[in-house]
Order: sequence, then C-alpha cells, then structure tokens
Amino acid sequence: MIPFGHALAFAGALFVLGLTCVLLHRQILMILIGVEIMLNGASLVFVAASAYWRQVDGQVFAILLMAVTAAEVAVALAMVVYLWRRKRTLVADEFNGMHG
Amino acid sequence: MSAASALPQFPWLTLLVLLPLGGALLCLLHFRRVEECRWLALATTVATLGITIYLFVGYGQGDSGWLLYEDAAWIPRYGIRFTLGLDGISLLLVLLTAFLQMIAVLMSWPVKQHVPLFFCLLLVLEATLMGIFLALDLMLFFLFWEVMLLPMFFLISIWGHERRHYAAMKFFLYTLAGSLVMLVALIALYLIHGEQSGTYTFALAELMQTDLSSQQEMLLFLGFLLAFAIKIPLVPFHTWLPDAHTEAPIAGTIDLTGLLLKTGIYGLIRFAFPLFPEATRSFLPVLGVVAMAGIFHAAWAAYRQDDIKRLFAYSSISHVGLVVLGLAAWQLTAWEGSILLMLAHGISTGALFVLIALIRQRTETRNLAELGGLWGQAPQMAFLFLFFSLASLGLPGLANFAGEILVLLGTFQTHPVWAAIALVGIVLTAAYMLRLVQGVVWGPVKGRPTLPDLTPREWLILLPMAVLVLWLGLYPEPFLRPLHGAVANIMAGGLP
Amino acid sequence: MNESLLFLIPLLPLFCAVINMLFGMRLPRLFTEVLAVIGVAGAFGLTLLFWDYAEGNGSRAVLFTWLNSGTLNVSFALNFDRLAAPMTLMVTGVATLIHLYAIGYMREEADYARFFSLLNLFVFAMLAIVLADNLLVLFLGWEGVGFCSYGLIGFWYRKLENAKAGTKAFLVTRVGDVFLGVAMLWLFALTGTLSISAINAQAASISPGVVIVLSLLLLLGACGKSAQLPLMTWLADAMAGPTPVSALIHAATMVTAGVYLLCRFFPLVSLSAVAMTAITAIGALTAIYAASCAMAQRDIKRVLAYSTMSQVGYMFMAVGAGTVAGAMFHLLTHAFFKAVLFMAAGCIIHQAGGENDLFKMGGLFRRGPTELFWVFLAGAACLAGLPLSGGFFSKDGILLALYTHADPVFRVFWLIGIVTALLTAFYTFRLVYLVFAGEWRGSGSPHDLPWLMRWPLWPLALLSLAGGLFNLPALVGGGEALHHWYGTMAGRTLTVSPDVEWMLAGLAAVVAAMGWLAAHWRYRNYHAPLENPLSRFLLSGWQADALLDRLFVRPFNAMALFSWIGCDRTLFDGSLEGLARTSTRCGALLLRITTGRLTTYLSAFAWGFLILLGWFLLKLVEGGGQ
Repeated sequence: MIPFGHALAFAGALFVLGLTCVLLHRQILMILIGVEIMLNGASLVFVAASAYWRQVDGQVFAILLMAVTAAEVAVALAMVVYLWRRKRTLVADEFNGMHG
Repeated sequence: MSAASALPQFPWLTLLVLLPLGGALLCLLHFRRVEECRWLALATTVATLGITIYLFVGYGQGDSGWLLYEDAAWIPRYGIRFTLGLDGISLLLVLLTAFLQMIAVLMSWPVKQHVPLFFCLLLVLEATLMGIFLALDLMLFFLFWEVMLLPMFFLISIWGHERRHYAAMKFFLYTLAGSLVMLVALIALYLIHGEQSGTYTFALAELMQTDLSSQQEMLLFLGFLLAFAIKIPLVPFHTWLPDAHTEAPIAGTIDLTGLLLKTGIYGLIRFAFPLFPEATRSFLPVLGVVAMAGIFHAAWAAYRQDDIKRLFAYSSISHVGLVVLGLAAWQLTAWEGSILLMLAHGISTGALFVLIALIRQRTETRNLAELGGLWGQAPQMAFLFLFFSLASLGLPGLANFAGEILVLLGTFQTHPVWAAIALVGIVLTAAYMLRLVQGVVWGPVKGRPTLPDLTPREWLILLPMAVLVLWLGLYPEPFLRPLHGAVANIMAGGLP
Repeated sequence: MNESLLFLIPLLPLFCAVINMLFGMRLPRLFTEVLAVIGVAGAFGLTLLFWDYAEGNGSRAVLFTWLNSGTLNVSFALNFDRLAAPMTLMVTGVATLIHLYAIGYMREEADYARFFSLLNLFVFAMLAIVLADNLLVLFLGWEGVGFCSYGLIGFWYRKLENAKAGTKAFLVTRVGDVFLGVAMLWLFALTGTLSISAINAQAASISPGVVIVLSLLLLLGACGKSAQLPLMTWLADAMAGPTPVSALIHAATMVTAGVYLLCRFFPLVSLSAVAMTAITAIGALTAIYAASCAMAQRDIKRVLAYSTMSQVGYMFMAVGAGTVAGAMFHLLTHAFFKAVLFMAAGCIIHQAGGENDLFKMGGLFRRGPTELFWVFLAGAACLAGLPLSGGFFSKDGILLALYTHADPVFRVFWLIGIVTALLTAFYTFRLVYLVFAGEWRGSGSPHDLPWLMRWPLWPLALLSLAGGLFNLPALVGGGEALHHWYGTMAGRTLTVSPDVEWMLAGLAAVVAAMGWLAAHWRYRNYHAPLENPLSRFLLSGWQADALLDRLFVRPFNAMALFSWIGCDRTLFDGSLEGLARTSTRCGALLLRITTGRLTTYLSAFAWGFLILLGWFLLKLVEGGGQ
C-alpha cells in the first residue's frame, strides 16, 4: 500500500503544477487545463484520505468532484467557443470587458 | 390610547393608504389603455379626497385624543406593528395631501410619455405620503419615508426638464444620506429601549418612555433632525430643492412644495420633538436661528432668480423657515400658526405652480426676462397670478397671512427679537414677489399679443384653490379647531 | 336697527369691487361705472344714516371670529365712534365725488373694470382702517390700501416706470408696516388683546420706557403710509398713476391714514413726552423738506404731491402738540382742498393736451374754461392759507397749539411751521401763475373736458373754502364744533389769551400774503426755470432717492447676489460638488486595480492563497511551539 504521505506529496505536486500552469499560460484553454489538474490534485487527496481512514465519504466526494468537473468543462468549453467567435483569439488578456 | 381603539370600526386610515396603492396597481395592469389610466387616477384621488373630507367633517371637530386609531401586528419578531393614528395635525396634512394630489393628477392630463407609469407613481407617492402622516410605528414610518423617494426620483428623472438627471440624483442622494443617519439613530433607540425594558418595539408611544442620558439623547435627536432638516429643507441643507423643483414636472413640483417639505416638519412635530424632549429644549434656540437664516437667505436668493420656478423654490424655503421659527418658539399660538401656514403655503404656492405651468405651456418660457404684460395677454390668468402672489406675500385676508400672523404673535411672546426679525423678512418676501409680479403680470407685452386664457379644466383646478385661500384667510376657524387639542398635547410632551 | 348693520358701510364698496372685478368686463360699461359709484355713495349715505351710533362712546359691531388660538381671539369687528364717524364721512364723501370725476377721466380707458374695482376696493380698505376695532382689522385695511395704491399707481402697466413706481410705493410703505407690525405684536404680548380701545385703556399700566418705544414704532409705521421722513420717497413717484387715483389715495385719504393711526392711539402715544416731541419733529422736518422740494418741481402733480407731504407734516405736528381735534380738522380741510387741486390739475393736464410740465403751460386762464381757474384758485387759497379759507383756520389752529405748548422746543417747531407756511404760499402761487398767467407755451391741443370732470370740483371747492366752519375758533365767533364733537378724544384744550391768538392769526395772514407777493414778483411774467445746483438738488427731492439707493437698495442687491452666487452656488453647491468629485476620484483610484484581465485576477488569487497558507502555517508553528 502506498503510504499516505506519498499520496499527499504527489497530490500537492499535481496541485502546484496545475497552479503554475494557470498562472503562467496566457491561453484560456491552457488555463482551463491547469484548473483541471488542480482539481485532480484535490480529488486525489480525498481518495487517499478515504483509503487512510477507511471512510467512504472521501470517495463519494471524489465522484461528486468528477461530476462537477465535467459540468465545469462543459460550460467553460462552450464559453471558449463563444469567446473565439467574438474575437478570434483565446489570449486571456484580450478579454478585459470587466474593466470599469 | 383613547377608547376609540377599543371599538371595532371601519379601518378608514388603512383605506387611505391602500386606496391609492390599489389605484396604482390597477394603473399598471391597465397599461395599454392610456385614457382609462387617467380617469382611474383621477377617480382614486377624488375618492381619497372624499374620504378625507368625510373624516374632517365627521371626526375633525373632536378636541383631543386620537380621532382615529388603528393597530395590527405586522412583524412581531422585531416588534414592528402596523399602527396608524389620526389627530388634528395629521388630519390637516392628510386633507392637504388628498387635495393637492387631485390637483396634481388634473394638471398631469397633458402628460404624453409612459402615462400609466406616471399615474402609478403619482398614486404610490400619495399612498406613501398618507402613510407618513399617519404612521405611529417608527419602522413603518421609516418604510414610507424611504419608499416616498422612489416615485419622486422617477417622476423627476423620467418626466423632468433639461437637467433632470442631475436634479433627480442630487435629490435622491441628499435625502437618502439624511434618512440613513435617521435609520441608525432609530435602530440605536430601538436597541437601547429593548435593553432597558426587555421588549423590543418600534411603537412611538413605547419608545417615548426610554431613559436616555443627555448625551445619547442629543446624538439621536441630531440623527433624526438631519433627516428632517434636509427634507424641510433648512439652510444649509437646501440646495437640492431649487434643482429638484426646477426640473420636476408640474405634478412633481406641486408634490414637492406642497407635501414633501411638510413631511419633514411633520416628522419634527410627531417624532423628533416628543421622542427627545430634553434635547429639543436645548436645541430650540439653534433651530430658531437656523430658521431665521433660512428666511433671509432664501428671500435674498429668490430676489436674484430669473427662472420663476426656481424663484418659487427659494420662496418655499423662506416660507418654511417661518414655519420652523414658529415651532422653535415653542408657543401654542405660534405652533397653530405654523401648521396653518403649512396648509396655506401648500395651497397658495401650489396654485402658483399650476399657473406657472400654464404660462409655460402657452409661452414656452419660464424666464422672467422673456415674460411680461400677462394682463394684456390673458387677463384671467394674470388676475389669478396676482391673487395667489398676494396670498403668498402675506396680504391680510388671504391664506398665508392668517398663519404668519399667528406665528409672529406667538413667537413674540417667547422670543420678541425673533419675531421682529422675521417681520423684516416679510418685507423681503414682498420684494421678490413684487419683482416677480412686475416681471410677469405688468410691463410691456412680450411675445404674442394675446394668449389663450384659462380653459374650463384649468378653472376647475384653480377655483377651489382660490376659494380655499380666501377661506383660510378669512375664516380659518374650522381648520384651527382640530389643532387646539393636538398641539397642546404634543407641546406637553406627549401623544394625544 | 341693529349695530351689525354698520358692517354695510365697508362691505358695500367691497361687494361692488368684487362684482366689478369678476364680471366687470362682461357687463355694460355704464353698469360698472354706476355700480362703482353706488358702492361709495351708498357707504356715504349709510354713514349719515347711522350717524347717531357714533354719539357717546360709539358702537361696536362684531361679524365673526377671525383668528382664535390660545389666548388670542380676534374678530372682524368695527368701532364706529366719534373719531371714526367724521373720517368715514369724509372718505366716502370725497371718494364719491372722485369716483364721478373718474368716470369722466377714464372715459377712453379700455380696462375700466380693473380701475373701478381697485378704486372701490381701496375705499373698502380705507374704511377698514378707519372703522377697525382691533389692530388686525386695521392691519387688514392698512395692507389693503397699500395693495390698492400699488395696483392703481401702476395702472397703466405697459409702461414699466409706472409698474416700478407702484412697486416702490408698496415696498417703502411695507417697510413702515414692519414697525407697525412689531408694535402690534408687542402690544399683544403686553396687554393680551388686540382691541384698540382695550389697549388704550391699559396704556397707563405699561412701563414708560416701553411706551416710548411703542410710540416710536407706531410713528414709524405711520410715516410709511403718510410719506413722512424718512419713508417719503414713494409719494412723488406715485404720481405716475391716473389723476383720480392721486386725488383719492395720495391726497385725500391714504396718506392721512398715518395721522389717523396716531390719533387712534393718542391715549397711548400722549403718555410719552419724548414720543410726542419726536412726532412733532418728524412732522416739522417733513413739512419744511417737502415745501422746499415743491418750490423747484416742474411737474404739476409732483408739486401737489410734495405739498401733500408737507401738509401731512402739519397734521403730525398737530398730533405731537397734543391736539387731535386740530389734526383731524386739518385732515378734513386738506382732504377737500387737495382733492380739488388734484382734480383740477387733472383737468388742467387735459386742457394742456396731456402735458404735465408747468413750464410748458401758461395762459390757461384765457385758454381754458374760466371756472377751472376759480376752482383751482379756491383750492390754492386754502393750501396757501389765505385768511378766511378753510386751510387758514386749520393751519392756524396747529400753529397756535405749537406756540402755546409748554415745552420750549415747540417754539422751534412753530418757527418751522411759519417758514413752511411762507414757502407753501410761495409755491402755491407759483403754480397758479405758471399755469394760468401769461401766454400758452405748450404744443399739445386741448382734450375736451367732459361734464363729469367739471362739476364734482364745485362742491369740493366750496367745502374747502367753507371748511373753516367745521371748527371755527371762538375768537371769530365760531363754536369749535369739531373740538366739541370729539369731546374727550380731542386732546389738549388750548387756553390762550385773545391777544396772542390775534397776533398769531395776523402773522399767518402776513406770511401767506408775503408768499403770494414773492410769487407774484417772480412769476407774474414768465421766467425760464432756473438751472443751478440748488434747484437741481430740490428738484430731485434732496437726492433722497440716490441716498436710499446707496443706503438700502445697493446693499440689498449685494446681499441677494451674495446669497445666491456666494452662498448657494459657491459655498453649498461647491462643497457638495467637491464631495462628489472626491468620491469620483477615489473610485477612479480603485478602478485602476480592476484591470479586467483574467491573468491579473488569477495571480492575485494565487498570491492571496499563498498568503493565507503562510498565515496558517505560521499559526501551526506557533501552536507547535507551545
């Protein structure tokens, strides 16, 4: 069995990698991929903790997270398509409509 | 409370609030049929006026106690009740509201844009005004007080003149700032009272029992006073009024001068003074001085105006200064004079606004420099303009004089110097009024040689006002009688 | 009959005024005119009918309660007593003749309904002053005459100067009203009543210092309406109105309201020697001031206006010298002869083709109807105080009262009175010579003189000449009827030796004759008007308008400008707009953070996350350390 610490370290690394991806990339698609990776890191922690404490809640939560991720991807990709249609670009900084 | 509350009776007061609201709702539902909306609004206001006249005749001659009192639980968790009460003071103001609102509806006949919404807002305004003059629960009062802003805001910003957005925003922010401070004071009072007595309530009668240290009392009083001073308006919180006045459509102007300003004074009389008697006592001299400053400042400023609507805005500030002076004198006769003057001012200035609107419709100007010789153009209109101007400048025998002289006679008893100075202010009133009359009625005829004179609809509006001005000036007794008991009670520091 | 019928006297003109005001333009012209005359003549008849009610202590009539609040209870109430009755008779009588005259005068005026209703309304307001039982009703009339005179002076409103003159009259008299108002408030605070008789009855219990102040306030109030110094400037400008108006309002009735007020409050005023001296001083100064101005005027109506001021000054002197009967006597004769002078002046202006300037008249004796000359001469004789005319006796009575006053200061006033009489005789005959003597110098052609403008002059002329009979001094075998009629209200009874009286009467006659001779010498042959600084100074009324302008009008305008631009625009709105601008600027500052870029937000999010994490770690380490 994989020790809990290893699982946590791996999940943390995954999370940090995702975060780095989110922060460094300018493309909306890459940012979304980063978010996905971060979410996966988080769900890995749930699974590992569930195995460690022998409680089923963590796995339930991981499954819920998958559903949320799927929904999020569906909405996000739709928006990406919409954004592409509007400006023919997917560079995040081009979309600054929230500037007052 | 008086025995009236124990007897089951027809809820007239609730009806007074709900009837205009119902009318407003119907107006919105009938938004496709414009003509019907007009008649509906008129019918509602006439019915409301009918009820108030019935109340005036049927209950108005009682001398003391609540003439009518209605009480129902509303939000028990926070001790908020739906309490309405009518005494002599509110009776007169309710009467004035119903009357002027009918005039406002009649004057709004030519409105073209968004007619249903317009009349809906007018009726909502009437309902909230009724609520303000009747509410005895502080939270209920505050609710009406705040809601009143909305219809007025929209009336100015949708149907107003050139600078309407600026004026509406100024009006809204100014009054909102004041009422927020009042809300804080209100809640503070609620909490202090709750801690002391264990029952959390917004009922006026209960809150009056609160023990406050003099410092607390003064702070809370100032919180209330700020809100009321902005609405009255007292110098230096008055600059919203000329703008709002000038830009508002005619109905809005009538409501602003005739009624909105009175809510501030009514608030002082009904809430600020009885809730904080000690603070009131120590603050009265300041109030008197501020009121006198208002009389003079506004009269002077009015003298320099070329826009007649703006001139009347300042004239209102000046008149209201005299009303507040009468209150600050803390003397029975002066108080009755103040309330009578409120009534008289509402009617005479309201009539003048009606006339200004009619003149504007015909000449397309409100500028004093472009007007002149109205007597040659439209004698009937000029005659009425002169008549109401004379009422406004306090000619004996007309409405304002009766109020003014009572204020002055009363004020002289307690503060001779104030009364003497205020008398000088009345000369200033004559100065700007005569300048106005000279510019509008006399002088060489400018513009077209003749103008269409008053139509029957316009006579229908102005004639009752003229009759009331004469009635108030010559025989104000029926209007003074309901006041005697109510004023004495409030000055003794209590409720009827 | 019952006493409330007395209300018919003032209400009849009011009723006619209201009818004319509302329906005048729809009714036939004749009806309007007749109604206007009926209103006034009816009041005159009623006064005669009810004359008995004035006997004894007079009669009170109450219509209904006007204001009732606290300790205040004021009714519409009349008091028809011995002071009021002759005044009522005079007002209604003279007004009737003037109304008749006005019908002729306004024959070609299109807006006649407004004119006659205002004229009737004026009579109503004047009667309210005369008959008032309490101060509030008096104030009603007081302001009412002010308004009517405003409306009538500016009657020809299309010329802005006329409207301005009306406004000036209203405003200046209203300044006087402030003082009357303060006196009213104070009297109410002291005595708890506004009834004039009750106040007079309690006058003795008021402390002397307060009485002085109250009397001075009443005096200033009277000065406003009566055009006395320092509130006199409006009267000369008021001549812009139609001539019947000048005759009715600015000669016979309204300007004497101040005198009447002081007579009404004589029991109060006479308690203070200081106030009495002040009244006399104001009267004396105005008398000589106005007489000096009248000498240099070129407009015939302005001469008469200044002479009115001057004559009212005599009445003030009479009140100050303590003789109410003397003041009322002069008031009555003055009403007659000044009305006739004004009405004749109206005819003269008509004859001169609408010309007001004395120096463009002349030769009217030959040119016009001769009767005009005789009528005018009758009035002029009274004004100048030629012996045996009405004006002679009334003015002589006043001078006698001044001369015999115990206080030596009054000798000075007496001297001023004599000098004024000299000046009066001079300018009166200057007027007569310039108008009637010599050759016609004008250019206009005469308008024809309707019959109605001519015959009302005769009764007035006769009344003024015979006016002395009302109060003929015992010295010449008269019964001093007026003095006896007033009884206790008459004020001081003069007890002097016949020698002094003869001496004074002789002096007055000599003075009048000297004035005449001087005018005869100077104006028998026409001289062009003098152009020197003195005459300019007198012509402009001692530059009083310029002085008032500098003292009051300009500061007033400056204050108005300050209130409007300085305070409201700059201070209040400026600070508000400053607040608004500051808020906007703060908002703009915060706006710079919200770039709208996703990446910025994300990195901010990440940094925030890191900081939070670090903070939790720190807590953990601290917790672990314990």
